[in-house]
Amino acid sequence: TGGHTTEILRLLSCLSESYSPRHYIFADSDKMSEAKIRSFEQKRAETFSSSQFTLDRIPRSREVRQSWTSSVVTTLYSIFYSLPLIYKRKPDLILCNGPGTCVPVCISALLLGLLGVKRAIIVYVESICRVETLSLSGKILYYFSDYFIVQWPNLKEKYPKSIYLGRIV
Amino acid sequence: FRFKDSLAEDLCGADLVISHAGAGSCLEALEKGKPLVVVTNETLMNNHQLELADQLRRDGHVLCCDCGTLVDTLQSMDLSTLKPFPPGQPEKFALFLDKVVGLQ
Repeated sequence: TGGHTTEILRLLSCLSESYSPRHYIFADSDKMSEAKIRSFEQKRAETFSSSQFTLDRIPRSREVRQSWTSSVVTTLYSIFYSLPLIYKRKPDLILCNGPGTCVPVCISALLLGLLGVKRAIIVYVESICRVETLSLSGKILYYFSDYFIVQWPNLKEKYPKSIYLGRIV
Repeated sequence: FRFKDSLAEDLCGADLVISHAGAGSCLEALEKGKPLVVVTNETLMNNHQLELADQLRRDGHVLCCDCGTLVDTLQSMDLSTLKPFPPGQPEKFALFLDKVVGLQ
């Protein structure tokens, strides 16, 4: 969604073309991200001759301030939906930065890893908005990601397993 | 106006930006090098929005106030005390990721 998309596109801005093809996954309710992604990829295609990418939508796992119990149900539904998608794409690397959408995607990838189908490296970058506290996605994926990056030193102190590279967006 | 796709043009022409504490709004203004006054409204905001505004204020990049103190702030502010906001460095992330996946 919105700010998350802008941030993740900035994270991608300096990556080499080895990181290809790029599979973007976002919530079905998201109206603006598709345009931002296409614009980014179009610009990228000007420098790198071939720009391979796909766009997929999954059901939004949680609305802002949605109750705990209903969130579990909607997240389970999103996992059910994203599992065949991740199986199809079989990513080597998953990069996410905090929208609710990333939790079912990462859980699906973890399941596929456990089943021996495909092991993906999960890299989570917490949003620059998060200075003192982690987002809910961050709190969950702190334990399940391979690399957990924060952008402010206070978070590095509170979450010692995290990685601090400074501000990267 | 109600909603525009992008405020980039308006931002470029501005001498001062007064904004709510949304991260996108704050960062966009700061990256364009505009002096920024952030108006916080704790009754409306998610708690975490305040975190970034607070940190930016502590670091001397923005002035903060609430709706009640806005007028006073605008009248008494000294924008020369604001420090420039250095851009983020996605190249550091690229270097890090290259090591992770074994490209380096």
